[in-house]
Amino acid sequence: MKHHSDIVNRLLREKLERETQATTRRHFIKSCAQGMGGLALSSIFMGCDPLSKPKPLAQNSFSERDLNPLSTLAPHYGPKVKSVIYLHMAGAPSQLEMFDYKPELHKYDGQDCPQSLLEGKKFAFIKGTPKLMGPQAEFKQEGESGNWVSNFLPHFKNVVDEVAFLKAVHTDQFNHGPAQLFMHTGSPRLGRPSIGAWATYGLGSENQNLPGFVVLTSGGNTPDAGKSVWGSGFLPSVYQGVQCRSKGDPVLYIDDPDGISRNLKKNTIDAINKINKEEYAKYADPEILARINQYEMAYRMQIAVPEVMNINNEPEHIKQMYGVEPGKESFANNCLLARKLVEDGVRFVQLFDWGWDTHGNVREGSIDMGLRNKCREIDRPMTALIMDLKQRGLLDDTLIVWGGEFGRTPMQENRGNKEMAYKGRDHHGDAFTMWMAGGGIKKGASHGATDDIGFSGIDGRVSVHDVHATILHLLGFNHEEFTYEFQGRPFRLTDVEGEIIKEILA
Amino acid sequence: MEMIQQLLGRLHPLIVHLPIGFIMLALLLQWYDRKQKEWSKLLSLIYFWAGVTAVLACITGYLQYQGEGYSFDSVKWHLWSGIVTALFCFVMHLRLAPKNFSGFMAKAPLSILGIVAFLLISFTGHQGGNITHGEDYLIGPLPNSVKSLLGYEVIEEKELVLTEDNWEEALVYEDVIQPILNSKCVSCHNPKKTKGELLLHSKEGILKGGESGDVLAMHSDESELYNRMVLPMDDDGHMPPEGKKQPTKEEIKLIAAWMDVGHPMKGTVKENKLKKDLFTSFFPTKTYTGHPEMEIAEASKDSIQKIEDYGIYVDPISESTHFLSVSCINKPTFKDSDFERLLSIKQQIAQLDLGGTEVSDAIFTQLAQLPNLSILKLDDTKITGSQIDQLNVLNHLRSINLTGSNFNRDVQLFSSFKNLERVYLYKTEVDQNGPKSLNDGRLVLEYGNYQLPTIPSDSIIY
Repeated sequence: MKHHSDIVNRLLREKLERETQATTRRHFIKSCAQGMGGLALSSIFMGCDPLSKPKPLAQNSFSERDLNPLSTLAPHYGPKVKSVIYLHMAGAPSQLEMFDYKPELHKYDGQDCPQSLLEGKKFAFIKGTPKLMGPQAEFKQEGESGNWVSNFLPHFKNVVDEVAFLKAVHTDQFNHGPAQLFMHTGSPRLGRPSIGAWATYGLGSENQNLPGFVVLTSGGNTPDAGKSVWGSGFLPSVYQGVQCRSKGDPVLYIDDPDGISRNLKKNTIDAINKINKEEYAKYADPEILARINQYEMAYRMQIAVPEVMNINNEPEHIKQMYGVEPGKESFANNCLLARKLVEDGVRFVQLFDWGWDTHGNVREGSIDMGLRNKCREIDRPMTALIMDLKQRGLLDDTLIVWGGEFGRTPMQENRGNKEMAYKGRDHHGDAFTMWMAGGGIKKGASHGATDDIGFSGIDGRVSVHDVHATILHLLGFNHEEFTYEFQGRPFRLTDVEGEIIKEILA
Repeated sequence: MEMIQQLLGRLHPLIVHLPIGFIMLALLLQWYDRKQKEWSKLLSLIYFWAGVTAVLACITGYLQYQGEGYSFDSVKWHLWSGIVTALFCFVMHLRLAPKNFSGFMAKAPLSILGIVAFLLISFTGHQGGNITHGEDYLIGPLPNSVKSLLGYEVIEEKELVLTEDNWEEALVYEDVIQPILNSKCVSCHNPKKTKGELLLHSKEGILKGGESGDVLAMHSDESELYNRMVLPMDDDGHMPPEGKKQPTKEEIKLIAAWMDVGHPMKGTVKENKLKKDLFTSFFPTKTYTGHPEMEIAEASKDSIQKIEDYGIYVDPISESTHFLSVSCINKPTFKDSDFERLLSIKQQIAQLDLGGTEVSDAIFTQLAQLPNLSILKLDDTKITGSQIDQLNVLNHLRSINLTGSNFNRDVQLFSSFKNLERVYLYKTEVDQNGPKSLNDGRLVLEYGNYQLPTIPSDSIIY
């Protein structure tokens, strides 16, 4: 036996010696350098703490914000609004039939578009020399402000003195997907957080039972750019928009399955979260925190969401005012829901209404018919939304933003250089109209102007970044200082651009 | 050639540090060697190099003065003291040299000469610093009181501020244009630093123009001054240069408008027929921040934590104030008796949301203890308003939301609230046909009940 253990000992010693010989000084120095490099890199890449404060890789204690990423934070300066309702008309509405009145364009109706306008421009479908098309709507100056509104929006004139128009917004994208991404994330490419994600990341959310950023869609389709338009990009995913439905269950699978009691559910979630917290202590991955928070939020949402998403309990005159259709998916329902959500302290409500892409290729996509139907669908609800927020004292705390991803051409579309079946206009990003209303907005203002035919902005041109800077300003943020450290550099919603549009601020 | 001259000139701030280093080294060694006096040979050599590099510094300095548009008056002290320092280095070199050929110098005590060298280099360096950074660079961080004690003139940078009442009477040049130039242009276009030979601190300067001629024109498009400002930021000709404080859109617009009416140097805004919309953005705006305009002590973290633990949100309104916003949005069971929990932060509460809680009319006595309350929300509560008069002692109270409460008092009672601006009365029991405003229109009463009647086009489908 003794002999046997001797052999083992000798073998072990030999193994040890071989190992030491194999690890030369060169190996040792190399692995040291790698270790040091790793340490240095970890401090560069670990930029995922709220408001860009670096933190050590492994830590066993949680900050308040880590465990409760939606806890409310102080903005840079006194905020004008607490919530935002963003109404996006996906497909791009025609400013020339709604707000941007161009009487001169009537005169040129049917004439060839001058070559000078077409040079160097890119259009989605227009080929050759298109013909100009006069406004297909009638316009009147409305309210004390005397701002122009077309007869496609007969109700909207009642609140025209509450809103501020931006008549010369421009974008550099001419296809829906990139333009929508640009409009909502500040970049036409994927990967950036949306405005709603930035807002909830920066300010948190008041109601602990509801998500801070809710998305509602209508019009039968979701935006072309997909869910990235309400994504959280590189921000922790807890800040992404939560899509709720106005038809059927507001959130899919929100009810407990049969036979599962709420207590059992609670115990399950507590156990899962305990394990997740241990995981976080080990790896410090903020995504784990997002997951912990989402479990808890989902549990609380089971009670709160069906309540807030139920529009049947609203009084009849309110339902009539918005023109809601309970049980259906409609923009009107979503507007009423938006008010209810804001009333309950939701930070950012994003509405997408699909079906505004009026090329003139089909009847629904025609300027004189399809567009008119779409206008009717939004006219009453968006007017009611402003009135309802106003009478409840919520309009002082809320910002409403209305717009599309770009505008439409003063020329009639001639896809394939042929005459189209219906009257339509092509995508156009040089000049289009948006409006804002609510806290901090100069009532009845109109900023910017387009040329005689509405092709380009000639005065008060504002970019998508300027719109973002203004929204952040109203929420109390200095858009130049509101950054998030990612991949070694701080990122902003407005990138390196954006000027606050002071002309529409009260 | 000019390029090389300018390049060499720009090396001046680098090269000057060589003689400074040599002289300081020599002075230190001299101090160590004050007893033994064994290092004279070495010290002499160091002073020789100090002298050589000082001459180089003088040459590059002169080139920079030529190439960068400094006036002689602003550099003369630096220039002469620099030359004196260079020469003095050679004097020291000779004095310390092993073969002492300057007989009379031998008698001058080394310590005195060392002090002179030290004073010379300090004075020259300081003068140079003043040229690059400005004379007030060093004293800049000092408080104004110390500055004036030191005999410096304290200049308050005047921003262009006009009011609704005085804009027409403002002098178009002195009160409007010059303040813009002062804050954005004069730091590089003044008698001390005259970039492009252009002076913008006075009427005479702007009328005279710069090295490339007139900067003013009868039309803004033809004016160098205006065109430089509207060049893209990345254009080298853009003024003010990148990194300097830029004029605002409104200021540029104003300068253009002034140019378009023939850049008058006299008369008021009214006499020169400039339109009001050019000036409105300079009027001081009353931005309502949601809290009283005053400083307040910070609430203790402990008391905030205690209230939050009870389920009530306590949030700072912004990073720039200690005032707090308190919300019971997650605490619908909040009752009158819970109010005392808030008393530890009663000075800091500026916004209070008790909407949807169980409070009753007894809450008003308690609310009157919040001296800085500005925004109060009591919507969807049971209050009838029987004690609401007690709140009229709150001088900062701007807005009360009573929507959906049982409020049933006569709205005239609000006329005793001094600074109240808005009361929301939708879905309350008050007469919806009451006055729309009180206190000469300063207080707006919002009854709501908006209707959107059906119109024929609602049912037309195209």
